[in-house]
This record gives sequence, structure tokens and C-alpha cells, in this order.
Amino acid sequence: MKTVATINVLSHPRYLSLIREVTNRFCQSCGLDEDLTGKIKLAVDEACSNVIKYAYHGDTSRRIVVKYGSSQKQISIIIEDSGEKADPEKIRGRDLDDVRPGGLGMHFIRRVFDRVEFDAKKVKGNRLLLVKQAGGNDAL
Amino acid sequence: MHCDIGDYKGNMVISLSGDVDMHSSPALRDKLLGVIKNKPPRLIVNFRGVSYIDSSGIATFVEGLKHVKAYKGRLQFSELPQSIMDIFSFSKLDKVFEICGNLDDAVSR
Repeated sequence: MKTVATINVLSHPRYLSLIREVTNRFCQSCGLDEDLTGKIKLAVDEACSNVIKYAYHGDTSRRIVVKYGSSQKQISIIIEDSGEKADPEKIRGRDLDDVRPGGLGMHFIRRVFDRVEFDAKKVKGNRLLLVKQAGGNDAL
Repeated sequence: MHCDIGDYKGNMVISLSGDVDMHSSPALRDKLLGVIKNKPPRLIVNFRGVSYIDSSGIATFVEGLKHVKAYKGRLQFSELPQSIMDIFSFSKLDKVFEICGNLDDAVSR
């Protein structure tokens, strides 16, 4: 799959809006409808927020790299950091019936993407692969 | 994000606009908990101008609701755009928060 855009931003929450804007434009360029675009934008935002919180522990001087790729069959978004390794076994959202602050981010990510995988081969930091397949009424 | 605190027919109203995200949620939390500290019997949050909310924004309101419930007050939401309503529905929080059509609907309940 061809990478069509890459952004590299500081790990400061103020730049999440920049990532959302690029994600929005990318989805529009792929022909996705407003509803799916909104869901992907939220999911990518949550994944990048998790990088700031858990990989960088709030350090706003690090980098987050987001790569956007597309083909006729799917879109892929790769999020890379150089922070603490995530433990995929421990990453799961809270039970939605258990009402308490936090624990929603992974639900937002998993509800829209067909593949959510950390690249085990990355030696330092994390590489999160998010893939959305074309299907149903989703135009890619 | 913009956050204004006002009054509507004798009820406290927080009017929000813009994006509620990890960057703006701490300021929202300060304002929300600051208002709740005075234990208003009814607090309405008007979402009319809100274009985006993420899990940190939702977490802020869940925290606020717990404080409000502790003194048996009411936290009501009004004028949620459909995109914001969808997020609350997906999170099953549309059943937890008192969601109203508009300010008049909220104060009449």
C-alpha cells in the first residue's frame, strides 16, 4: 500500500487538532462519508492521545509520526512513537456498562478499524497499525 | 474550546463550543468542578457549538456526574449535535446522562 502522507508532530495535546485535521482531509480524499470520517478521526485522535499518556507519560517534547496509506481495498494509518512499549495484552477498554471516567479510547479505535495491531518487530517504541477495509457502503 | 457560565431561568448553564479534547479537557474540568463545588440543584451543559469530543471530554463529564449525584443534584445536557450524541450513544452514556432537546426542555423536567 502506498503511503500518501506522513506527519510528524510534537507529543503535545495542542497538536492533536492538527492530526485530526490531516486525518479528516485524508479520509475526504479517499471518498469516505462524513460519518466514517468522523469515526476514523476520533479513533486516530484517541490512539495519539494514548501515545502521549502511556508511551510518553505526558512528556510533550517527543514526536508522534502518523502515516496515511490507501489502496482501492483499504486504508491504513500507522502511528509511531519512541516511548515506552505498550503491552497489547493489557490494552483493553473498560466494560461499557461500568460507568467511570476513562477506558473508552480503545472502544473508539476498535469500533471502526478492522485491524488494530502493534508491530512486534519494532525494537524501540511502538508502531500501531490501523486498517479499515472497504466494504458495505464505505467508499474507498 | 470556549466555555461560558451563565444563567437560564434561574438555572446554572455551562455553554460549550469548539473541540473538547485532551488539550481542552483540563480547562473544562476546572470550570465544571468549580461550578459543581457550589452544589447547584440543576446544572445544564449546552453543547450547541461543540464540534468534537473525545474520551477525555467524556471522562470529565462522568467525573462531574459522580460529584453531582453525591449531593443529589441534576446534570443535564442540551442541544447535542448528532455527531456528539452518537458518541454518547456508542459509549452507552446516553442512558446515564439526562439528555434534553434544548434549555427549555431541560428546565421543564
